[in-house]
Amino acid sequence: MQDSGKKRILIIEDDTHIAEGLKLNLSLQGHEVDIAFDGVSGLQKWKTQQPHLIVLDIMLPGIDGLSVLRSVRLEDERLPILILSAKGSPEDRVKGLTYGVDDYLAKPFNLEEFLLRVERLLARVSWAGETDDNDPALFPRTYSFGSNRIDLGASTADCRTGRITLTEQEVKLLKLFIANRGKPLSRKQILKIGWGYTGIMNTRTVDNFVVRLRKYFEDDPHQPVYFRSLRSMGYIFDHEDPATS
Amino acid sequence: MITRLKWFFHPVFIFVFSILALALSLFLYIYWYIEVSTGLKAAVHRYNLDPQQILEAQTWVVILVLSILVGLILAGIFIIFVYSQKMARLNRLQHEFINNFTHELKTPVTSLKLYLETFLKHELPRMEQAKYIGYMLQDVERLADNISHILNLARIETKTFGGDFLPADLVETLRQFYQNNRHLFRGCDIQIHSPSGNPFFYNINAPLFEMLVMNILNNAVKYNDSEKPKVDIYFMNKNAKLHIRFEDNGIGIEKADAKKIFRKFYQTKRPDGFSPKGSGLGLYLVQNIARMHRGKVIAEKRRNEKGSVFTLILPLHPKHA
Repeated sequence: MQDSGKKRILIIEDDTHIAEGLKLNLSLQGHEVDIAFDGVSGLQKWKTQQPHLIVLDIMLPGIDGLSVLRSVRLEDERLPILILSAKGSPEDRVKGLTYGVDDYLAKPFNLEEFLLRVERLLARVSWAGETDDNDPALFPRTYSFGSNRIDLGASTADCRTGRITLTEQEVKLLKLFIANRGKPLSRKQILKIGWGYTGIMNTRTVDNFVVRLRKYFEDDPHQPVYFRSLRSMGYIFDHEDPATS
Repeated sequence: MITRLKWFFHPVFIFVFSILALALSLFLYIYWYIEVSTGLKAAVHRYNLDPQQILEAQTWVVILVLSILVGLILAGIFIIFVYSQKMARLNRLQHEFINNFTHELKTPVTSLKLYLETFLKHELPRMEQAKYIGYMLQDVERLADNISHILNLARIETKTFGGDFLPADLVETLRQFYQNNRHLFRGCDIQIHSPSGNPFFYNINAPLFEMLVMNILNNAVKYNDSEKPKVDIYFMNKNAKLHIRFEDNGIGIEKADAKKIFRKFYQTKRPDGFSPKGSGLGLYLVQNIARMHRGKVIAEKRRNEKGSVFTLILPLHPKHA
């Protein structure tokens, strides 16, 4: 087997036995392994430790695995993520893949297969690291709607008030809305994916943020066209397709 | 994805629609009947017949009979409606149960397979081996628990559970049970209090009764985030009934869930960390066993402290229990 060097791997799995068994095997393979037992601490560890690969379970306490995946994908589209789940039906796999997972293994899995897939994913990252931003991505670099033009790469936007600089959180939230254009998002979902919090956190945070986005991008922030509220649901982002020029 | 039912096929719509149709038809029956009978009255009048004989009494009888019949039909529709809603709910729960239960079965199997393959692949030092073999044993235990839950469920539901109901002192039975299963509750503080000091005799089926106690204690420890899980068991006499209270210092129980948790397949959904990790059968079994002993179990939140209380209430008529 080809050695891809010492890599940091984060395992997000709530079953201690499985998590430790995975850690044991990956450590024996020569990797540095860390375990998070729920979604919230998983996201925190992903931020602080910058792993090269995440092994993710779906049924997790607090924030579920798919929300963790979507949250990570808002900021990092390339980090290899492998889902390891008891849910193995084609629908579940497709769901995972549409949210941008790289590989999907159903439990119970074969250890050798798991290790080979992990090595393969790690190897692919080290090759991709050399090329630059030309590969297809989930998000375009720039995005336009109405008279607004957002540069997601440079975190700037041209809107009715002129050019503004967006904070990291604003970019993240915009990406979430863009990825779910035309689909309603509940406040809870937004909080989970956009901030990595569970339901205990006050959903007013979301409202305040949307108010800010409206101030930037709506012609009349009190009569929103793009970031609309849905009664007792949450928010929906939509716009007409820009005229092709 | 399941295609969603058209709104006019929805059972609630059909139910409301048929009730409206029935009410309208009742109204029309009566309306037309009265119309016809006034016509008749006019005819009687014209031909100078004796009105008393043909009319008066009949009108009300007809209306009464019609109303009763329609009422019966309405009641029938209502019962069928409730029944079908119940079936639908049970179906959904069963589906959820299968999903959850496969997860419950697959997790220990995954862990077992993982460690066995690891042992095949690597030569581990004895100390580590022992630790992982310990894990595997726990997983086997978990699997065995899940399997026995399913089997017990089948036996209790079909009432084919063997064994007799024999008188036993419940305080002593509980003490014995705790002594025999101490290893399962390591690190927990379980106390049995019987203030009167008297024995409480009751006719029990020992294996079933132990299953009941085991499930309540297991839950008290499983749904517990305190540093040291603690369960106090109190024996009390109240209104000619024996109350056995199991008070724990766990995560407690929401008022809305207090009744529902005894439903088959029901699992609480909590916004914080504690996601359901069970079969959804434990408390259903508990309630069924309590009923087989002519008693019942109620759950509530502890009033001033953290935790929940499960009370087993048994009628104190030991002679024919």
